[in-house]
Amino acid sequence: MRPHAGAPPSRRRFLALAAGGAVAGSAALNGCAMQVSTGVSGPGETVTLMVKPDDISPELIKQAQNDIGVKIVTVRYDITKLIGMMTNGSPPDLVRGVGAVDAPYFAARDVMEELDPYFAASSVLKADDLDPVNDLWRYDGRTQGKGPRYGMAKDFSQDSMYWYNTALFDKAGVDLPPETEPVTYEQWLESAKRLTQRRNGQTTVFGGSYNGVLTPNLLASLTVSAGGSLFSDDFSRVDFTTPEARKALGWYVEYCRARVGPSVIQPDPNTWDGPTYQANRMAMSNSGYWLGGLINGDEKLAPLSRLAPAPVFEGGARISPCQAGTGLWMPRKARNKDAAWRVFEWFFGEAPAEARASSGWGIPTLKSLRHLMPSQKSYQQRVLEVQEAELQYFSVIAFTPYATADSLYALFNQIAPAAMKGDMTVDTLAGRLNSAMNKQLERGKEQVG
Amino acid sequence: MTVGHIASVSDRAGSRTGSDGARATVRPLTSMTTRRHRAFYLFASPWIIGFLLLTIVPMAYALWLSFTTFDGISPNWRYVGLGNYRELFADSQTWDALRRTGLFAVTSVPLSIAAGLGLAVLVNRPLKARGLFRTLLYLPAVVPPVGAGLAFKALFDQNSGAANGVLTLFGFDALGWLNDPYARYVLLMTVLWSAGNIMIISLAGLQDVPRELHEAAHLDGASAWRTFRSITVPLLSPVLLFQTVTGVIASVQTVMPLLLSPDGTTQGVTAIAQSNYMYMMHVFADYFALGRYGYASALLWVLFVLILIVTGLIFRFTSGVVFYNVDPEAKK
Repeated sequence: MRPHAGAPPSRRRFLALAAGGAVAGSAALNGCAMQVSTGVSGPGETVTLMVKPDDISPELIKQAQNDIGVKIVTVRYDITKLIGMMTNGSPPDLVRGVGAVDAPYFAARDVMEELDPYFAASSVLKADDLDPVNDLWRYDGRTQGKGPRYGMAKDFSQDSMYWYNTALFDKAGVDLPPETEPVTYEQWLESAKRLTQRRNGQTTVFGGSYNGVLTPNLLASLTVSAGGSLFSDDFSRVDFTTPEARKALGWYVEYCRARVGPSVIQPDPNTWDGPTYQANRMAMSNSGYWLGGLINGDEKLAPLSRLAPAPVFEGGARISPCQAGTGLWMPRKARNKDAAWRVFEWFFGEAPAEARASSGWGIPTLKSLRHLMPSQKSYQQRVLEVQEAELQYFSVIAFTPYATADSLYALFNQIAPAAMKGDMTVDTLAGRLNSAMNKQLERGKEQVG
Repeated sequence: MTVGHIASVSDRAGSRTGSDGARATVRPLTSMTTRRHRAFYLFASPWIIGFLLLTIVPMAYALWLSFTTFDGISPNWRYVGLGNYRELFADSQTWDALRRTGLFAVTSVPLSIAAGLGLAVLVNRPLKARGLFRTLLYLPAVVPPVGAGLAFKALFDQNSGAANGVLTLFGFDALGWLNDPYARYVLLMTVLWSAGNIMIISLAGLQDVPRELHEAAHLDGASAWRTFRSITVPLLSPVLLFQTVTGVIASVQTVMPLLLSPDGTTQGVTAIAQSNYMYMMHVFADYFALGRYGYASALLWVLFVLILIVTGLIFRFTSGVVFYNVDPEAKK
C-alpha cells in the first residue's frame, strides 16, 4: 500500500532510502577518492607525485613551477594508498619505487608505462648517457635488466660496500681494511667481533652493521657473491639449500648471532645506521657511497671515515651490486603523461639531478653528471677513488616478479629469529624459508598468469 | 512523550483520515507528528548513512574479498569460495595468535579495570589537590597510542633506554625488554599506563553511589572492605560490565605490539616478539606485508564473529550479577 502524501516514512522505507543513499554515496566517494591529478594540459599543468617527504623538498616543488611551469602535488608514498588509487582508476602521475625490487613486480602486473618512446624523443635524458644502474628499471617479461625501461633511478650506491671509522679501529687495535682489495665476508665478521664493545649487557659500540637495503635482496646478492643464485631460472622459486645460498644464509645468521651489529633480534632504535655511525658507536656500516652525504657534513667524522669495497666470499665472484636504485615510474593509467614526463626529465636530468650529484647522497644516474660528485677535500677524493674503482664490479642482480621484497622480508623476519638466537639450525631455517617463500611466490605466479 | 508514543498516536490518527468529519480535527495532529518524524529521521540520518557507508559497505566488501585471492594489484585473482576460511582454520599461526590474544585479554582487562578502579577510589577521597591528581592520572590516557608506543620503545631500548639505565646503575645487567620473554610485560605496562580512561568512568560511577548507603553500612559496623565489596562494587557493576566489554573488544584489536616493534615498517610486523604477535598482527602482516587481501579479510570476519560471541557470552554470564539501579515500575 502506498503511503499517503505527508505521511511519515516508514522505518523500512527510511532504511531502504538510507541504503540507496549509501550506495550512491559510496559510488560518489569512489569517484572522488584521490582525484588529485587534474589531467589538464597546457600552461599551469598539475602533476601528482607519490613520494616520501625526503624525495622532493617544498623548495624544489616551487622551483618546478618556475623552471618548467608545472605544479607538483605530492601524495605521501604508501603502497596501500597506491593500490587504492590504481584500483579507483586515478593513479598518481609518477610514483617512487625501489628499482631493484619494484620494477619486475609492477611491470609483470602491467601497471607501468613503458618509457622507451619518451627516452627516444628526449633531449635531456639520452640513452647513451644513462648509467647501467638504470637497467634495474628494465624488464622484458621474464628477466630484470633487459627489455623496455619502466623508470629511472634518481641516484644509486653499490650497497654491499661499507664505511668504516678509523678511530674506532685504532682504539680496538684492529688493522684497517684495504681500500683497493676486498676482504672476505669471514674477515669482515671477525673484525666486527673484535671491534664490538659491550658493558653490562649493553652494546656501547657496534663492531659492524651488515643488513643491506632489504634482507631478501641482500641474501640474493650474497648468494651471487658466493657463486650461485637464490632464485630458480624462471624466478618462481627460491632455494636456500644450494651450497651457495646456504653459505650466504649461514654467514648472515652468524652475523646476527654474534650480535656485532643491528639485526632483527638486536634492533637499532634509530632504524638506520647514520645516527649510530655518526655518534662513533658503529665501527663499520654496510652503506654505500650515499652515506657520504651525511659524513661529508660532519667535519669531525669525515676525515676519520673511509669507504671500502664490497667483501667477497672465498672462491666466489667479486660483485658489487646496487640493491635499491630508488627512483620514479609512471603508472600506465596516469592521466597527465606528457606533463609527468616533463617533470621526470627535470627531476632526473636538470637542476634537481645536479644538486643531488654534488650533495654526495649517492652516485648520479647520468654519466654526464659524475664530474659533480664532491671531491674538493682530500678525504672526498680518497672516497671517490675507491668508488670509481668499484664501479667495474657493478652488476644487476635480477629479482623475482612474483612477490614483493617486503613480503619475502616479512616471511624471513617471522622464521629467522629462532635461528639467530641459536634455537634452530641454519639447515632447518633454509628448509622453512624455502617452504614459506615458495608458497608466496606460487601465489604470485598464479596471479600474474 | 516518547517517539514510540508519537508513532502510536500517528497510527491512530492515520486510521481516522477516511472520515471527512474527522479530517479537520486530525490534520494538525498528523502534521505535527509528521514533522516530528521528519525531525527524528533528519537527525538520525547522518549517523545511519555514515554507518552504512563506513561500516556496512566496507564490511560487505571485506566479506566479498574473503572469498577471493585478491591482492590489490595482480590481474588474475579468482573466487575461492570458503578456501580462505578453510586455510585459516588449518593455519597454526592463526590459532597461536588467537591463543596469545585471548591470554592478553584475560590478563590485561582485569588488571586495567582493577588499576583504574583503584585509582578512582583513591582520587574520590577528600584529598588535597585532588583535581591535580585526577588530571595527572588521566593525562597518559590522552596521549595518542603512537606517541605512547614511541615513548615506551625509547624507554625500554636495550642499549639506550632509561629502564636499563636504572638497572645498570644498580649493577644489574641490561635486559632486552622489547624481546621475549620480557616484551609481554612491556605491553601490559602500556595498558596499565593508560588506565586513566577507566579511572575517569569509574570515578563517575563512584560519585553516583548514594552516600547514605555508606553511612548506613558504617553505622552497622561494616569494614571499609566489606562496604566496598557489598555496596560499591554492586552499584558499580553496570560500569564494570561496560568496561569489561569495551576492554575485551579493545584488547583483541590491539595494535600496540606493532608500535612497540623494533621495526615499525609494514614488513617489520613479523619481527615483533613472538609473545606479542597477536591476532591483529597476523591480520596486518597478511594484509600489508604479504598482500593477501582475501585471506586477511577472512581473518577479520572470523574475529568479528568471535567478538560477537564473546560479547554475548559476557552479557549472558553477567546478567545475574549486574545491578541496574532503575525503577521497576518504569517498565510497566
